[in-house]
Amino acid sequence: MRRTVFSAAALACTAVWASAVPAFADDPAPAAEATVVPSASPEPAGAPEPTEAPKPTESPEPAPAGEGSTGGVSVVPSGAPDTGAVPEPARAGAEAGLIGGGAAAVLAAGGAAVFLVRRRATGA
Amino acid sequence: MTSLSRRAFVTAAAAPLLAGCGGGDRTGRATAGLREGPPPPSRPAAGTARALGRSVPVGLEIPAIGVDTPVMPLGLARDRTVQVPPLTADDVAGWYRHSPTPGQIGPSVILGHVTVGVHGDGVFRHLARLRRGDLIVARLENGTAAVFAVGPVRTVAKADFPTDAVYGDVDRPELRLITCGGPRTGEEYRDNVIVFATSSPAGP
Repeated sequence: MRRTVFSAAALACTAVWASAVPAFADDPAPAAEATVVPSASPEPAGAPEPTEAPKPTESPEPAPAGEGSTGGVSVVPSGAPDTGAVPEPARAGAEAGLIGGGAAAVLAAGGAAVFLVRRRATGA
Repeated sequence: MTSLSRRAFVTAAAAPLLAGCGGGDRTGRATAGLREGPPPPSRPAAGTARALGRSVPVGLEIPAIGVDTPVMPLGLARDRTVQVPPLTADDVAGWYRHSPTPGQIGPSVILGHVTVGVHGDGVFRHLARLRRGDLIVARLENGTAAVFAVGPVRTVAKADFPTDAVYGDVDRPELRLITCGGPRTGEEYRDNVIVFATSSPAGP
């Protein structure tokens, strides 16, 4: 009887790990994407204006200094450049760990079940 | 509890914990977008080079920190801040096109990311490691190159960005490399790392 109770407890424990951990690991990914994308440059790689025809959607920006320029910054930007989007490897790593944990829990549950079944079969 | 029961119970309870500890790669993709090699010894600047003609930069090499990247032109964003390169795994540096081209008299400004979000490290990840005398080579569209020697490397709060020191007039060819740095405050970095470099006659 006691053995049955402990066996049931082991299985219940692993089942909870197996189901809860992957569900939890799934959560942060969309949030991480959502927080990173808006912090990107307002204009993509190709966005910096072509020299020949400025797009109507461009900011009202003076033409860059040309061949005859003698040096110096012709238009001084305001504020500080935002040249660092905070990396998300910590979150990604945590996700990987949790998914791995879930898989390990499933394996452990299987292993525990095999132990119990074999023990009952052999009457040990 | 019998030996077998105990073993099964302990195995089931401990496995997820062990897997959780070992499975996290907290530095994953740490080198994406950065071509790195063993840093060669830096050479000191030897005098000041003469000014070059105007030619847009197309590439940037900083041997001391393993940077060899294409350079794209950048303008102004709608909020009048300087544009920055896009957040991609193949991160590149960007030249502010309202500044002189490298080698012209004045401060030529090149920006790059320290990190690019989910893609990991940016092309200027190790900019703060530069030391006085390290060489910077800007490859120009006309096939020539402008060589600079690193001077002061400053880490300043974004709130106190030294606009005059970065964009102000100078009477010789200079280069500014800018990225982010310092501690993270929420989604961004608190500081900017700024490398001030002067033209050098030394070759790469």
